[in-house]
Amino acid sequence: MEQILIWTILAISGVFLVMTILIIANKAWRETQAAMRARRRKELEPKILSWAHGDAKSVRDALAETPSSFDKSVLEQILLDHIQRVRGIERDRLGRAMEQLHLIDGYLAGLESRRWWRRAESAEKLGLAACKRAVQPLAQALDDEMPEVRLRAAKALGRLGGEASARKLVHALNEPTRWSTIRIADILIGMGHQSIDAVIESFPGLSHDGQLAVLDIVGQVRPVSASPWLLKRLESESSDIRARACHALGSIGDPNMAIELSAAINDREWPVRAMAAKALGRMRVAEAIPKLANALRDEEWWVRHNAALALRSIGPRGIEALENLVADGDAFAREQAILMLEESGRLDERAGELAQGGSTVRTAAKAFLERVVAAGTTERLRVLSREHPLAEVRHELLALLPEKSIS
Amino acid sequence: MASEQILVVDDDAVTARFIASLLREHSYDVLVAEDGANALELVGRHELAMVVCDLVMPYRDGYSVLRAIRQNEKYHDLPVLLLSMRDREEDVVKGLEEGADDYVIKPFNARELLARIRKILNRKRRVT
Repeated sequence: MEQILIWTILAISGVFLVMTILIIANKAWRETQAAMRARRRKELEPKILSWAHGDAKSVRDALAETPSSFDKSVLEQILLDHIQRVRGIERDRLGRAMEQLHLIDGYLAGLESRRWWRRAESAEKLGLAACKRAVQPLAQALDDEMPEVRLRAAKALGRLGGEASARKLVHALNEPTRWSTIRIADILIGMGHQSIDAVIESFPGLSHDGQLAVLDIVGQVRPVSASPWLLKRLESESSDIRARACHALGSIGDPNMAIELSAAINDREWPVRAMAAKALGRMRVAEAIPKLANALRDEEWWVRHNAALALRSIGPRGIEALENLVADGDAFAREQAILMLEESGRLDERAGELAQGGSTVRTAAKAFLERVVAAGTTERLRVLSREHPLAEVRHELLALLPEKSIS
Repeated sequence: MASEQILVVDDDAVTARFIASLLREHSYDVLVAEDGANALELVGRHELAMVVCDLVMPYRDGYSVLRAIRQNEKYHDLPVLLLSMRDREEDVVKGLEEGADDYVIKPFNARELLARIRKILNRKRRVT
């Protein structure tokens, strides 16, 4: 019995000893490798960078020796680190070095690997390397069975840029069950203007959600040239499409589109009307004032609010329209106009005019404030009648306000 | 003529090495600092021609380095080029308003960066 116990203890100790030795050996090996890589990197990096800054053709000549497989892995890290930090000729040359060292061939082969993480890693590196001949293989990787591979291939195409990459990505917008539409849209937005032609051309063949994503992309990238195309989308049967098109037109802010866009302020669906009002505010076109003023009588609060905001953002003529609406026959329009004048500080300015300027200014201010009082929205005026720094203003306001509302 | 000395400040060692290599390739003498505090120490100790400084760094960012340089009587006119991944209009405007001589967005075009540095140094030479 004692013998068995001793042997058991010895066996367990032996196992622990072997494991400890293995762990220490592994750590030592890793640290040695890291030190070797760091030392080799210090030697190779200046050669690679000097080659990138120059105009010599072959990177192998710059290295002066055929790289071993260890050197190749160090060179790969150097190239990947630098290529993502620069643009222009240096980036092209670093990419060329990756080609010449056959790293790109390795990544392309990696896309065919049976191991999904190797496919994902290869896709990512092809994007970092900005390798134009990888567009087609990466496009195929968009159909990979593993979501991670698909996502990295999409990001790689986004990094590669160009219309060909954009065309491949746009089709991924059509697969909402497999793709996060938002992620693909973000990648296309990141590509900027180079994605616009592709997304617009693909629009008719996309699903409803895909089409909405396209309108968001156009709205975010803001190409002025897309404005006429967006105006056409206002004829769509779908109110979502019409509303997003209005939003995109507002983001672009091309004032030449304002007259045609202002027709959407009479749309049968309120979200379209609200977006049209908001967009007109961003364009800041005075010609839209009558339609925006009319939108303050809309039955939906969002439309009235956006129209009032739009009038405010148009400037003095928009503010003037808001002041005229204070005496409007529609109670909602009156309320919204006064609230916006209050928010913009115009109400305070008008109160201040009671004590400043010539008699014409004073009389006009008084007449305007009388209309505000008649409209029944007197909260701010009551505050000013107590707190305005000028005694004359406080006095004039107290005289204007009905007694029961002074308290 | 002794080569002009440029200080490169970036907490990202890879970027700092790339810029240093680019400048050395064009015969500039380069010093590298990995943070703002180290950068100001080097600014005080060396006769620098200019500073190329990253904007976003831990502890002491590019704005802070720039302000410290502009507020110091001894080297308030030292040219500073800011480098940053922040590409919004307001960031660029803020950088220039704080007193930077130029603002370059990352990832940068190496030859364009070099041209901007040369332009700043030429201007400085003309003034002095």
